[in-house]
This record gives sequence, C-alpha cells and structure tokens, in this order.
Amino acid sequence: MKQQYINLAWRLFRHETKRGELTIILLAIVLAVASVLSLSLFSERLQSALTTKSAEFLAADRVLEARQPVNSEWIVKAQEDGLNTAEQVYTRSMVFANEQLMLAELRAAGPAYPLKGQLKISNVAFGEGKVTMDLPKQGEAWLESRLMQSLSLKLGDKIEVGEAQFTVTQVLIEVPDAGFNVFGGDPKVLISIDDLAATNITGPGSRVSYSYFFTGETNKLDSYYDWLRPQLDRELHDWDSIEDDDSPIGRSVKKAEQYFLLASLLAIVLAAVSIAVAAQRYSQRHYDPVAIMKTLGATKRSVQLVYLLQIIFITVAGIFIGTLVGFVIQQLVVWALADKIDVAMDVWHWRPLLIAIFTGAVCALLFSLYPLLKLFSVSPLRVLRRDLGATISSRVIQFIASGGAIFILMWAYSQNFKISLILFSSGILLVLALLLVTYGLIWLGRKLGQGKMGAWRLAWARIHRRALDNSVQLISFAITIMLLLVVLVMRNDMVKQWQEQLPQGTANYFLVNITDSQKEQLATHFATNDINIERFYPMVRGRFVAINDEKIRTAISKEDQTEQSSGRDGLGREANLTWSNELQDGSRITAGQWFDDSAVATIEGQNPEQHYSVSVEEKLAQRLGIKLGDVLTFNIGSEVVEVAVGSLRDVNWQSMKPNFFFVIEPKALQHFVPTYLASFYLATEQKSKLTKLMQPFGSVTLIDVDARINQLRNIVEQVSMAVEFILILVLTAGSLVLVAQVQASMDERQQELAILRTLGAKGSLIRGSVLYEFIIIGLTAGLMATAFNELSLYLLQTQVFEMEAKIHWQYWLIAPLSGAFVVCCLGALSCWRLLQLNTNQLLRQMV
Amino acid sequence: MISTNGISKTVTTGQGQLQILKPISFNVKAGESVAIVGASGSGKSTLLSLLAGLDEVSSGEIFIDGQAMHSMDEEQRALLRGAKVGFIFQSFMLVQSLTALENIMLPAEIAGFADAREKALRLLQLVGLDHRAKHYPNQLSGGEQQRVAIARAFITQPKILFADEPTGNLDAANSDKIEQLLFDLNRDAKTTLILVTHDQKLAAKCLRQLHMHAGELSEPQSLHVESESTIAKQHIG
Repeated sequence: MKQQYINLAWRLFRHETKRGELTIILLAIVLAVASVLSLSLFSERLQSALTTKSAEFLAADRVLEARQPVNSEWIVKAQEDGLNTAEQVYTRSMVFANEQLMLAELRAAGPAYPLKGQLKISNVAFGEGKVTMDLPKQGEAWLESRLMQSLSLKLGDKIEVGEAQFTVTQVLIEVPDAGFNVFGGDPKVLISIDDLAATNITGPGSRVSYSYFFTGETNKLDSYYDWLRPQLDRELHDWDSIEDDDSPIGRSVKKAEQYFLLASLLAIVLAAVSIAVAAQRYSQRHYDPVAIMKTLGATKRSVQLVYLLQIIFITVAGIFIGTLVGFVIQQLVVWALADKIDVAMDVWHWRPLLIAIFTGAVCALLFSLYPLLKLFSVSPLRVLRRDLGATISSRVIQFIASGGAIFILMWAYSQNFKISLILFSSGILLVLALLLVTYGLIWLGRKLGQGKMGAWRLAWARIHRRALDNSVQLISFAITIMLLLVVLVMRNDMVKQWQEQLPQGTANYFLVNITDSQKEQLATHFATNDINIERFYPMVRGRFVAINDEKIRTAISKEDQTEQSSGRDGLGREANLTWSNELQDGSRITAGQWFDDSAVATIEGQNPEQHYSVSVEEKLAQRLGIKLGDVLTFNIGSEVVEVAVGSLRDVNWQSMKPNFFFVIEPKALQHFVPTYLASFYLATEQKSKLTKLMQPFGSVTLIDVDARINQLRNIVEQVSMAVEFILILVLTAGSLVLVAQVQASMDERQQELAILRTLGAKGSLIRGSVLYEFIIIGLTAGLMATAFNELSLYLLQTQVFEMEAKIHWQYWLIAPLSGAFVVCCLGALSCWRLLQLNTNQLLRQMV
Repeated sequence: MISTNGISKTVTTGQGQLQILKPISFNVKAGESVAIVGASGSGKSTLLSLLAGLDEVSSGEIFIDGQAMHSMDEEQRALLRGAKVGFIFQSFMLVQSLTALENIMLPAEIAGFADAREKALRLLQLVGLDHRAKHYPNQLSGGEQQRVAIARAFITQPKILFADEPTGNLDAANSDKIEQLLFDLNRDAKTTLILVTHDQKLAAKCLRQLHMHAGELSEPQSLHVESESTIAKQHIG
C-alpha cells in the first residue's frame, strides 16, 4: 500500500470532517451503531433481568424433571461444575385428618429448595403471606389454606400421609414454582425430603416425579446440559428453562423478547437506510475530486484505495462515537427505569457491542459499495464536461449489495429466519411498489407541472424532473415511516392484549363445591357485602376413561395405579365437567360446531344411539389424539356417560377466568347433581372481609389466586414499560434518520435554490414550492408505508407473535398526514436555513 | 512532442452517429505554445480532451513524447498524464476539501514525489500565495484559485501543459496577471503549451494558433508568424 495514498486519504478525512462535509455519513453510522447498541444492550440486559425474575417461577434457572430418581453422579457433577443444586419430590396422595380425607399434592423438599424465589407462610388460612427462609422440619407439614379449610385444621393438628404422621406447623401461602393451573391443581402439602421414605407412598408403581433444580452462570449451565443431554432418556427426563415456560409470564416475556428483537432489527434497517442515503450523497459530492485526481494521473486503483481508506476511517470513527453515544443512551434509559423496573440491570453483555460494531461496519461498507463503484467510474473528462456523472448505473449491484447486507444482518442478529424473511420481503415489495409510484409521479408531474408558474407548479415540475433520482429518497422516507409504524402499532396491539388479559377487577378468588341449595343464599350474602358474583358454573367431577371404547390411563394416585397401568395417556386426574349452551367469553371454536338445540332434538328423535355432544379444548385434543366425532367415555360416580366430540375450542388460559377442558351439552348431564364454581374480585383492602364472607359456607372451598394475578400483572406492567422505552428509542432513531434524509435532499436542492434566488424568486415562492414538494412526498410515503405496515403486521402477528391480526384503520389517516407534516416541517426548517444565506453564499457553497 | 494522425471523434446520440471532430492531423514541437481557438461548440474542448488523453479517439493516432496514446487504456493514459502532463481549467477544478498547499501537492503525491511539500511551498511562493497556504479554495478569490491551479500544474514539471480557457472565469485585471504568470512559468520550464480559448488576445500570445470550426481544424500561416513575433517581442521586452 503506497504511503502517499494513505496520507492523502487521511488528509481528506481530516479536512472533510473539520469542514463538516462528512457530518451526514458520519452521523448515519453513529446513528446505526448507537441505536443498535443501545437497543440491543438494553433489551439484552432487560431480558436477562426478566429471565432472572421469571426464573423465580421455576424456583431455579434450569430444572430437570424425572419420573424416577436420577443417577447421583449427575448431581455431583453439577456441583463440581460450580452449579447450585436442590431437589424436590412430588406425588399425589390422600391426606387424612379429623376423620376426613382429601387428595393433595405432596411436595417433599430438599434443604436447598427453593434456589430462586421465596416461600410464603402464615399462621392462618388465607392470611397474608410472610417470606420465610425455613422449610418444614422432620415430622412437620405446611398445608395450603384450602386443605386447612376443607379438613377443618388448625396449627398444631396432626395429619396422616401414607404411613407417616405430621404436625401442621404453618399455612403455606405461596411457593415460587406453583404454576398457573389454578383449577386443576390439588392443594399442596410441603414436608421435608427426609420424611418421604416414612410415608411409604413412593414405592414401585407409584406416580412420583423428581425435580432437580440448578442455578449458576448461563455458560456453566449450558455446558452442564451439553454433558447431560446424551444421558437423558426422553421418556423419563425433561429439561426445563424459563424459555420453555408456557405460563402467561413465560409467554409475555417471550413476546416482549420478540418485540425487542423486532425493534432492534428495524433499528438496523433504519440505520442502513440512513447510511444508504448518506453514502449516495457522499459519492455525488466526490465526483469532482475523483475526476481531478484521475486527470492528474491517479490510476483507478489509487482512487479506489484513497476512497476505500476514507470510508474505513469514517466507519471506524462512526463506530467509535456510536458506541459511546449508544452506551450513554442506554445508561440513561436504565437510570430512568431504575425505580420502575424491579430488576437489577447492571450486567454487561458483549454480544450487543459486537453486533453494533458488525452492523456499523457491514452497513457502512456494503451500503457504500454501489455509490463508491459509481464514484470510481467517474470519467476524468468531467473536468471539462461538468455534466458528466458516473458511468455505471446498474441498480442490480445496489439491490444485491444493500438487500443482501440487510438480510444477512437481520438473519445473523435474530437467528430467526421467519421474522427476517417477513420484514425483508415486505421491504422488497414496498420498494417495488414505490418504484411504480415514482413512475406514476413522473406522469402526474408532467400533467400537473404545466400552467402558470407558481409554487405548486414548481413543486410538481421538480418532482417530475427528479422523480427517478429522488426515488431513493421517497423509498427511504416510506421505509422509515413504515418501520416506525410497525414498531408503534405492534406495541399498542401487544400492550392492549396484555391489559385485556388482566383487566382491573379480574376475579382473584374462586369458590368451588357450592351446592345447588347454597347458590341463591351465597349470591345474596355476597351481594349484601358489595361483592358481585357474575355467574355460577355447574360442575361435576368425572373420570375420563376411554376414547372410542379404547381404555386410557386414568391413574390419579397410588391406589388407582394397580387398576390400569397401560393404554393411551389420559388426563392423569379427574376432570371437571361443565355444561352450557353458551360459548364462554374468550373461547373460539376451531373445528366442528357448538351445540345446536334443534339439531340435537332431531338427531335424538331419529336415532337413539346418537350421542350428545362435547366440546374439547384444542390443545388437550391434540395431546390425547382426540378427533371430531370421537366418542369419549366418562365415569361420573357410578354412571357411565358417553359423548361425541362435536367441536374443538381454543381457550384463552391466560384470562384467569374459569375454563374447562370439556364442556358437555346440558342434556347429557341433566340427571347429575352438580356443584357450582364461581369467582369474584376482592380488593386487597377488603381482604379482612374474607372470613366473615365465608363463615356461613363451611363446605365451600375458597381458592386464592390474588398473589398469582399480582405477580402476573407486575411482570406484564414492567414488560410494557420496557417495550414503551424501546418504542421511544426507535422513534428517536427514526426521526433522526428523517432529519438526515431531508438534510441530504436539501443539499441537492441548494443549487436550484441558488439559481432561483439569483433570478429574483421571492422567498415565499421558493419556500412554498419546497413545502408542496415535501408534502406530496410525505403523503405518498406515508400512504405507502401504511399499506405495507398492514402487510408486515399481518404476517408478524399471525406468524410470529401468535396474535389476532386486524386492519388498523386509524393509521390510514394518521400516518400519511403525520408523514406529510413531519417531512414538510423538516423540509421547511432546512429550507429556511438555506434561505437565510445570501445568494452569493449559496453559490459559493456549491462544489 | 505531440503528433496526431487523422484523429476523429464520433458519438452516438438519439438520432444516430454524430461526428463532432473530423479527421485531424498536426504536430506540436517541444517547447511550442499553441492556441486552439474557435467558437463555442466548434469542438476545441473535444480536441483538448483527446490530446490530453482524457477521452478516447474514435479513429486515428496520437503520439505524446513518442508514446502511442491511442492504443493505451484508461489506466495507462492516467500514468502518462501523471508523468508528462499538467492541466489548468476554466473552473479551476481544485479539490474543495484540500488547502491551497495540499492542492498543489496533489499531482506530486500521486506521482510519488518524496519532496512534494517543499516543491509545493516553493511554487506557492512563486505565485505569491504563500500566506494563503492553509486556506481552502472557497476562501480564495477566483484569481487566487487559478494561481493555485497554475502552481499545481507545474509541480510535476510536466512536458506538456493543457490549459482550457484559463482566464474564462476571471475579470480583466486578474486575467492579465494569470496570463503573465502562465506564460512566464511556461517559458522558464520550457513546457509545451496547448491552450484552448476563444479569447483572441490570449491566443495571440501563443506561437501558433489552430482554428476549430465545426469539428475541422485549420492553421492560418499569417497568425503563426504574427504570434511568433509577439512572443519574440515579449521575450525581448
């Protein structure tokens, strides 16, 4: 490499930086690096903070679930690897006390449990939970409120589990890994793991599951899993992390992560667009120096060397400044959020920095490629003929280089082919459509740019004349607006969905075992205490025993195990069956038909063999292999009920409303005496009313989900807040890109303004024409952006975010108008700046 | 120094082929000063671009200092320009982001001179702009910019200097100064000068005058003699 060219490149870089000629391209790279760094660093820190928080719901970072005890060497190895371990054994068993019995979930915890999250206990049933670091000692048991209530227990009472006896020493209010299945779960009993053997309920044939908890650094956990994986048996073992969590929290966190990813990807595209605009301008401004250098004897190679070095200097400077700016922005956001988000966010991540540097470098080099190739092709003859520009005009290189760069970055960054492909193909379609629109504008410009000279005509004439040149500008405006819309609308839809999931006043208590005779009385009693019970759901417990007469596994406890140990998988517990003619809120039929009274009557009349209908929850149907038309057999008490699957339902389990796997046609169950389930909302400050409320109804069981709902709401609120900040970051980045674009385009207009000014055009005419031009461009870009925003959102929401897509009509007006307004204001500001200069200064500024 | 044999230039337009330069043959000796005069659009700038190797001939041969330029590609022509040719333009063509001194250094640096800076400083002094070394082109007047351009043209001690309307953008006073400087330096450096102009007064200062008209070249003998006598007078004066 010849020293003189390095010197020349460095000198050009220094002077041009000082003279502000590199400001736009430098800003574009700074923007690219800063926005990608701040967004991804913030989102990565937030994600890991949320994961930490969510890990509390697993009681660990990773959990190994096993159907039998694992080789003790596995645990030793984990400890040798520097991981913390704990264990817990689960089974279902009858609990005897006061001559009553009740099925309970028995948990025998090892001394280190829980590794994450907290246990809460109380002295009274349904009391306020206090955090404890202790666990039941040997011979002690902690029972959930529901069990205390049902078995009429108080602290100090004795219970029997299997062959062992325990003293109840605490009421168990909360365990971190309780799960979100409020209705299906049996009340919990927590004992020490050392007492388990004495119960003698975990012998051969019993359904016991063993959980091994692990915490530690992610890389250690990952390498431990790499070691462990080959030894795991899919039938027996299940490795869980919070990422696999399908609870409402897991899903919210996952959606938020996808949103951050989307926002970061869009930030990359925004940055790329701004670099593309800046690189084009940079190239055009250097046509003369290249022609001069070539005339003075510089070979093409030397020119290439000088300008490649320049771009490298610019890129390095941009990356350096961008990294600093990005870090500061991110830190400001973290500070701003510090008291709102209840998670530590001080972990440093290298990946965002590498991604940001990689993005800056790839964008700067690949987006400069086509403008640079154009620049290299400038003929030395330009020194004599100023109108000569670049001699290559093939846009194929540009599309391949820039399109390829964006796609590679998106894919590399997201490692999600689907999201990348959706955004990329919407972008391509948008670009193609915009090219068509540009041609339309040329045609329109030709029609409208005729007649009396005025600002309006001047604007159209300019659009007509420069329509092709400015197609890049229109496309970049439209892409920027589209990306901002995607991020904004996506956030609105997502937060709205979260809020709908848990609106204020969501029922936080459930009542079960209400008898028919208690219904009226209970409703009146609650109403006099200002508590509203909306609806009573009739319920019978039944055992699901066969599909099309094929027996399924129904074991629910050790005692049942002997009866049936093979066959298709069943529910593993008794099912709550309900009946209703109405489809519940939030449920949706995905196959078949909901019950139709008249149709049933006809069928009943024609063929007594016909079965009544049942609607089955879709995911359960999938898991158990149930299809439409299958006949399901339930044992309810001593009766056998057969029903045919008439429909499959999609149920919103996140709604925290009573939901059922099976909803049976009312006529099929009319001979059974149901109990009822009801729910109500009780504000925290009214909690003291509970005892008084429940007093007359000793047999009714109360289920408290207040703590769960609060946990869920808390996480959702924090995630929403984080999403909002990400939105603000992207909007800021997008606005800066728009400013850069307008700035670059004003630069091109400067010569024309100078000439118009020289010819004596009034400021108002020039300003008017520029404003009209920007309004037309802004409106067009806004309208196109809205259309393609809908397309991208439809694809993203249906394919990636698992949301229901809908058209956002309000944006069809807002986006074009605000696009026109913003672009026009920015244009007016830049134009105003230029008009402040006198004509001589304007002419002098032209290169 | 320059020898042309039937060079022509044809361009393709929307209406078909257009010959903007008809076959031209002439020779220029080393140290000669030649003015190419003609009206706008007569083809004089096209001829200059071909002679300077900025454009390719459609047919014919051009030899510069014995080297067959017509058979060279763009890269070889660039090297030839760097080694043997200097330029002065009507619009000065200074690199806006380099200072006056750096603009002068540019051709010497491209040619790989180790002492580019010292040479440039000397030339800057010679054209009377040493106090403007660190100024950028847009901080200089038109006359000053052209003086920088002249200094730049001489830094590699080219054998041939091409000047395209060197005073075309300047007022009368500045024009006189620039003409004086150009011819003085040219004389001292014994450079062959090819000057394109429509200014008869400037053309008259050259040893020979070639007239371009509608793509054809002619050389009136009387003018040749007259200009020789003018130069002689100047030398004596």
